[in-house]
Amino acid sequence: MEEEELQKAVYAYLRKKGFRQTELVLQEEQNRLSSSAQSDLAVSRLDNDPARYHDGYSKLRSWAYSSLDLYKHELLRVLYPVFIHCFMDLVAEEHMQEARTFFHTFREDHELMHLRDLQKLEGILSPSHLEEMELARSLRQNKVKIKLCEYSYDLLLQYLQKTQSVTMLGIINEHINFEVSAGQPSSISDDVDVVALVGSSQDIAKQINQKEVRWGLLEDSVEERLERPVSDSEKPEGENKEVDPEDSKQKRSVEGGKQGVSVKKLKKDKLVGATGKNIRSETSTVSIAPRVKPELTLPVMTTEVEQSILEDLRNRVQLSSLALPSISFYTFINAHNSLNCSSISHDGSLVAGGFSDSSLKVWDMSKIGRPTKTSNSQGENESVESEHLLGLEEGKRSYTLFQGHAGPVYSATFSPFGDFLLSSSSDSTIRLWSTKLNSNLVCYKGHNYPVWDVQFSPVGHYFASCSHDRTARIWSMERIQPLRIMAGHLSDVDCVQWHANCNYIATGSSDKTVRLWDVQSGECVRIFIGHRSMVLSLAMSPDGRYMASGDEDGTIMMWDLSSGRCVSPLMGHNSCVWTLAFSCEGTLLASGSADCTVKLWDVTASMKVPRMEENKASSTNRLRLLKALPTKSTPVYTLRFSRRNLLFAAGGLSKQA
Amino acid sequence: MSIVPKETIEVIAQSIGIANLSPDVALALAPDVEYRLREIMQEAIKCMRHSKRTVLTADDVDSALSLRNVEPLYGFASGDPLRFKRAVGHKDLFYIDDKDVDLKDVINAPLPKAPLDTGVVAHWLAIEGVQPAIPENAPVEAIVAPSEIKRSEHSKEDGLPVDIKLPVKHVLSRELQLYFDKITALIVSRSDSILFKEALESLATDSGLHPLVPYFSYFIADEISRSLNDLPLLFALMRVVRSLLRNPHIHIEPYLHQLMPSMITCIVAKRLGHRIADNHWELRDFAANLVASVCRRFGHVYHNLQYRLTRTLLNAFLDPSKAMTQHYGAIQGLAALGTSVVRVLILPQLETYMQLLEPEMQLEKQKNEMKRKEAWHVYGALMCAAGKCLYERVKLFPSLLHPPTRQLWRSNGRVATKMPNKRKASTSHLLQQPPLKKLAADGPVSSIPPISMPTSMQVAADGFPTPSESGIRPSSSTGQLSNESISGGSRKERSGGKAPTPSTVLAQAWKEDLDAGHLLASLFELFGEGILSFIQPPEMSFFL
Repeated sequence: MEEEELQKAVYAYLRKKGFRQTELVLQEEQNRLSSSAQSDLAVSRLDNDPARYHDGYSKLRSWAYSSLDLYKHELLRVLYPVFIHCFMDLVAEEHMQEARTFFHTFREDHELMHLRDLQKLEGILSPSHLEEMELARSLRQNKVKIKLCEYSYDLLLQYLQKTQSVTMLGIINEHINFEVSAGQPSSISDDVDVVALVGSSQDIAKQINQKEVRWGLLEDSVEERLERPVSDSEKPEGENKEVDPEDSKQKRSVEGGKQGVSVKKLKKDKLVGATGKNIRSETSTVSIAPRVKPELTLPVMTTEVEQSILEDLRNRVQLSSLALPSISFYTFINAHNSLNCSSISHDGSLVAGGFSDSSLKVWDMSKIGRPTKTSNSQGENESVESEHLLGLEEGKRSYTLFQGHAGPVYSATFSPFGDFLLSSSSDSTIRLWSTKLNSNLVCYKGHNYPVWDVQFSPVGHYFASCSHDRTARIWSMERIQPLRIMAGHLSDVDCVQWHANCNYIATGSSDKTVRLWDVQSGECVRIFIGHRSMVLSLAMSPDGRYMASGDEDGTIMMWDLSSGRCVSPLMGHNSCVWTLAFSCEGTLLASGSADCTVKLWDVTASMKVPRMEENKASSTNRLRLLKALPTKSTPVYTLRFSRRNLLFAAGGLSKQA
Repeated sequence: MSIVPKETIEVIAQSIGIANLSPDVALALAPDVEYRLREIMQEAIKCMRHSKRTVLTADDVDSALSLRNVEPLYGFASGDPLRFKRAVGHKDLFYIDDKDVDLKDVINAPLPKAPLDTGVVAHWLAIEGVQPAIPENAPVEAIVAPSEIKRSEHSKEDGLPVDIKLPVKHVLSRELQLYFDKITALIVSRSDSILFKEALESLATDSGLHPLVPYFSYFIADEISRSLNDLPLLFALMRVVRSLLRNPHIHIEPYLHQLMPSMITCIVAKRLGHRIADNHWELRDFAANLVASVCRRFGHVYHNLQYRLTRTLLNAFLDPSKAMTQHYGAIQGLAALGTSVVRVLILPQLETYMQLLEPEMQLEKQKNEMKRKEAWHVYGALMCAAGKCLYERVKLFPSLLHPPTRQLWRSNGRVATKMPNKRKASTSHLLQQPPLKKLAADGPVSSIPPISMPTSMQVAADGFPTPSESGIRPSSSTGQLSNESISGGSRKERSGGKAPTPSTVLAQAWKEDLDAGHLLASLFELFGEGILSFIQPPEMSFFL
């Protein structure tokens, strides 16, 4: 009212002063303003009606369901993103009640594919939650990419225009990127793309996955050296001579300082090649895998260790789908449900268990339980055995107790030669223990939250850890600060694994992706999308080409590192896959699960599956499962192939099962 | 709107001392409470997964709370799963059962046993891919084939290129093969050695034998069909069957169909063993008991098992063209199945059958010594079966001790001892009977002709009026009503069938009694005094 009076006063003033022109302009302006305000109001009233989401979506849904069979599955794919964005829009506009009813009305449609996401989204009850929850945030920020064939796309557009469903059109424009392809609609089984709707933008993933990954093995690996003694086994006296100069060279190179090692090695390699040791170059051509240079300075092996490794490699049992491994199972008894993790040393002589009462216990299996163990492990653990009696002095305990952590121990790992043990705990520290001195050597503080997993690199010295703080870190034993911090996962990093050539680490996360990181640069070089739940275990094939990952639902996926693609999903477990291990030649994959089985999978067969059949995974999977070995109500926590291809497994006996 | 109703918020507010919480606040808080709850559960599940568990515990929730910098909940870390109880009158309201504990009791209670310390034990889960059958491993799947078949069917349904399935190979470990070879060698050659006894023991107790069961059952079936002449071998095989049946670790059901025919063969085969002296009667008894035990154990699983068995046996029994040995086996088989089977199946046929049997037994009618002997065996078996049946019936009556009975027993014994040396040959087969019964069974041989129906009735009638008994005869069903008038009346009814009964219940009870009386009478008619030995002295006295 006051404003009107003011206006009148202004008009009166203008008239009195004779500003006729100005008065007209003002009037015109005033009219326009008020009318536009009115129309704005009308639009916004229409816009704010929460029922429009419900109506629009249910119409779109019934249209999609009644569309042509050939294009139906493509159109149905559009529904899920529209559904969740409708829901989140409703929440954002604070129509809680409507959001709830909307969610529950259409929830069933998507439960099959997206149950876990739905469970999370269900909890969103206020706009602030949208901000807080990482899944919702990433969904809001990123566009979903959906592949459609030309015709489906036309159909969809026609529908949206014809029905004037502005709301739906808005959502689709805002949150969906269509990738329209000419020709026939894609087959139903390509739904992987839809599953991958977990937040991380597909484009970024694609971009990252274009980077080069050199998955080849290290040059000058021990395995390579093995092939020489085998090839000239007729003259064993020559064997030592050949190994010895190698080692002396290596020692020299160490003296030359850390920085120069790789360079010197390179030179040395050239030297070796130049001096005409033909055998060497021959053997390296035998294996097809390309060789790469280490990016990290690698620790040096002592002669005895190398000798023992060579000995093991020579005695290795060749495994294949016809020659399955022997499995030695270590059962933790009377653990009272407090066993959180276990680890087995490479030769199976030491077994460590991490418990929820913060303790870490190490059993020397060569002493207890089995005095007449297999001959190979006896040979292997002689070095470890020495002076290990210290721990046994205190009482009649059969194990060595390591105390130091202040929270449940979530992971433990033996160094490649069994003389060190690392453990990570919920007190956000990692501790290094010596199995020879039976004492704590170092406490690494760096993570801010519980450290879920820690893994020694295949050559020792370096290790990687991952934590609830959504990072993975690379450490070396001699420094208490991490060397690299890998950040990028959208949720907890649950497991970590080294690549065979030590240049990469892989991490599995609760955001359902697996990422591959370059150790030297700390960059993410691959994102593997496809799991439908939290990734719990990882394993790298010894040839460095493939990676296996197991998730909470029991699905195991085999990935090709170079392409970033899933080679094949392996279904069979019906509960969490706690552990995965490749046999030494990479022909078999062993998986251990909470469903109390150890399963053996044929890797070579799964690789040979032609591209055509890959989609029809259901039948080929069964072929690839070689053997399922049930345990007696013992979930399998750890699997490890010894260098001689004996498979060790460990798990805690649980009574409830 | 939220799964946490605003009333809950109000209740919680009151419990922490906020009395006047406005409904708006409660309404606004409720969704956030739900969100926080979900958030904490999400973290708790992560902790659970990293503890390699599939069951959520209070500890996990505590860890989740500490991850979020929230004070953990105290008082729930018991280690045991919490027990929830449903609140009375509410469908979905639960509370934790928290009992009051008296501190004094806790202090005074003896210290609980220290929990066992954690340990690690090692075993072979697989040897070159094959799971050894040791107690540490889960029991081996009985049959692998069906699942394979199912799989191949499944893949066909998928409409995919059919994968060629190799025939299922059941890999037997070297140790098991050796074991099997040893055992079979023992069975065939040295079934009388001590070693064989130990082998039987091993078969009955060893836990890892399951993979061998199909081989054993095939071996047994095969051997029995081939060597019906070799009695020791048949005996050894039956003993092996018994051991296998006794082994608690073996899942023998799938192989019963293979074993049953073999066992039945050993019961009702026409000829077992090649010599006359061979005591095939014993084998038949043994096999009959074995079959009966199978019926008892698996009868509830295979409903028609006993039906089929009895039908087979009954056919053998009722076919007059079958040999006496077969009849004998059939009777023993049926008898081993229990008295009710005997009552239902044998007793109705008894009279006709005896007419058939009697000529066979008499010296003047059946000249063949061998045949006559067989007939006597059958007679003995039949009497035994009938007698046991009678014994069961009579046992329903109260047991009472009475001086006169002993006297009677003595007299019975006297009858028996009169001709101990007459039929010695036939006594040997009735091993399971106490010697006295055995003798008694032979007793009637000479005394059948003189004892006739009237006398038996007379004996029975003689027994009734004994006044001393009437007072102390509480029948099992009339227990509390054991006064003289009732028992007297019923007695009358039994002897004459004319006296009125006090109540229908009693009538029914005594009807049973009456049946038994009739049974006894008819059996007595057929077998003579011998049958009396099956009635225990007290009951006997009651009848006499």
